[in-house]
Amino acid sequence: MSDTATITSAAPSSGVAVHAERPSADGKAAVLIAMRDIWKTYDMGAEKVHALHGVSFDVHRGEYLAITGPSGSGKSTLMNLIGCLDTPSQGQYWLNAKNVSDMDDDELARIRNQEVGFVFQTFNLLARATALHNVELPLIYGGIPGAKRHEMAKQALAAVDLTDRMLHRPNELSGGQRQRVAIARALVNHPSILLADEPTGALDTATSYDIMNLFQKLHEDGNTIILVTHEHDIAARAHRIISIRDGLIEKDDQVK
Amino acid sequence: MPNSSETPPEPLVFGKRLSLPARLKSFPVLRVAAIWEAFLVAVASLRQNKLRTALTLVGIIVGVTAVIAVVTIIKGLDQTVSQTFNSQGSTVFTVSKRPQVITSREEFVKYNKRKPMTPDDAEAIERLCTACWRTGVAVNSIKPAKHGDQTFETMAVRGIEPAAMFDIDGVAIDSGRFWTDAESESGSDVCVVGSDVVTNLFPNVSAERALGQDIWVGGHRYLIIGVLQALGKIFGVSRDTRVYIPFATYKKRFGVDFSGAAYAPQGSLVVFVQTPSPAELESAEDQVRAIMRNRRGKTFNEDDDGFALETQDVFLDLYSKATSNIYLVTIGVSAISLVVGGIVVMNIMLVSVTERTKEIGIRKAVGARRKDIMTQFVIEAVTVTAIGGALGVLTGFGAAWLIALLIGFPLLISVWSAVLGVSVSSVVGVISGMWPAWRAARLDPIEALRAE
Repeated sequence: MSDTATITSAAPSSGVAVHAERPSADGKAAVLIAMRDIWKTYDMGAEKVHALHGVSFDVHRGEYLAITGPSGSGKSTLMNLIGCLDTPSQGQYWLNAKNVSDMDDDELARIRNQEVGFVFQTFNLLARATALHNVELPLIYGGIPGAKRHEMAKQALAAVDLTDRMLHRPNELSGGQRQRVAIARALVNHPSILLADEPTGALDTATSYDIMNLFQKLHEDGNTIILVTHEHDIAARAHRIISIRDGLIEKDDQVK
Repeated sequence: MPNSSETPPEPLVFGKRLSLPARLKSFPVLRVAAIWEAFLVAVASLRQNKLRTALTLVGIIVGVTAVIAVVTIIKGLDQTVSQTFNSQGSTVFTVSKRPQVITSREEFVKYNKRKPMTPDDAEAIERLCTACWRTGVAVNSIKPAKHGDQTFETMAVRGIEPAAMFDIDGVAIDSGRFWTDAESESGSDVCVVGSDVVTNLFPNVSAERALGQDIWVGGHRYLIIGVLQALGKIFGVSRDTRVYIPFATYKKRFGVDFSGAAYAPQGSLVVFVQTPSPAELESAEDQVRAIMRNRRGKTFNEDDDGFALETQDVFLDLYSKATSNIYLVTIGVSAISLVVGGIVVMNIMLVSVTERTKEIGIRKAVGARRKDIMTQFVIEAVTVTAIGGALGVLTGFGAAWLIALLIGFPLLISVWSAVLGVSVSSVVGVISGMWPAWRAARLDPIEALRAE
């Protein structure tokens, strides 16, 4: 996995990127995610169901964060909000200095494309497409020209050690390999955050261990990772754990 | 409910990713890449579901075939008709008691009150019209004909005078001869027959061998002295089942209606006028109209001429009048099958969207916008209908070719109708793909990702 560094360093060193390296006033890294009093309310006919009751927290660049909680705690709702798949009913959400709380569908799609890399429990790869094409998908919607797109996708696959499986379809790959394709797809566009929803939920223990090591490595390379899981030993790999219960933050602990 | 804070928390700094100018630069490429991706996805999906694709294609092919075949046949018919009626050239016009086309009972009653045309009228036109070249008279009726045990019930008998009427009619001798002036004036029982008269009444006998034989027409016997060159068929009807006899003979045997009776089974006289060239046609018509109005005692303030003056254009006019509506209806009816094809495509696309909800969710999660998803499904619909359209054009030409072969008229295959077929079917694809595509585009990504 010696190529991993190329992913994180592939972004052109523009003035903006250099600026991002500057630590904030209190000595910490830059704030990537700022959630302020986030409410999510579902209208279930007569009654309103509050999935989130005013959640506020910050995530800094380079953090390795796990969000845990039992089912029905609002964990998934929070993940959808962080991943810009949904917008809050109330409250403000800044992702990489952009207020995404009031964005429409297409603006959110743009943000997902540029700022968020998703890794799902069930991989969510296109079944008929090769690993390479799956990894290229975000670049296609991001408007990256063909030759560059190929190059970037190949680099991302090399970073997850799948160069020799590039032209295989998902059904020709093992679970662990599929998840690594998904991780390559999440990283290929150099997103601000890597958002993983139960990334080991569909994998056996040994493979889970490999995938968690990969996340560890990606974190060490400077990626910001947010892990959503209900498994404590998985969450324990992160450096900060936010526990959600009944739509509120119950605990927010720095582990390491 | 708590109030949301309006001030962004400090500090906020940009993360590490592609710079804004880099992304702006790639913007024009975006649509091309997404459209190409959509096309590849469409082709892959169509190949994946072969049976479904085949059924959809059949729906479109049938529709396009129907339209192309109808359009091709209509163009062929139009060409046949205009060639046929132009064969006499635009140097001939006729003067008759009533027009060849009567469209109402009122007109019929009015025209029947008119005086019939007489040989005297023809003689007056011949004498007074300076722009005219030659004139002739003709009278027609349908009579049964036979030779030996061969019969033909609906033989067109045409009495003409002088022999120049053959030329005005646009017919030429194939074997034998026209009649002499002496035979014409004396009312000899001679005839010149169309080529199909020989075919029908003298099986397996050549035109030469039919010469000198007798045929019975309307109860009288005539000697065949000439056989005409074939004119061919129009709409499957032969134009070569005619028997020409001298006018004097016709008058003697069948009589000519000079009485002005409402019903004249023996036929009434028509005067044919030919000018040296098409340029003189109009002035000749004016002269003949003046001569005839004078002979009918019409003053200038009387609207009705008392006779009908017509060129062959009336047939073309009538033809286009009669057929233009039929054509519209026929094309309309065949276009219905195209609409049905469109509904088939829509149905298939709706199934496809439902089946691929998960895929749509994945695409949206990695950044596909509504219009990207919309484009993908519309392109898929257009791809299948355009292929169907192209195949339909081929089968349409094939069907038209077959029909043209059976009926006997020239086949006009035009690039224009091929382009029309493919573009119309593509439009059908866009229209029928729009609604399923819109449903796909507005799927909620969270719901779509949950689908299996």
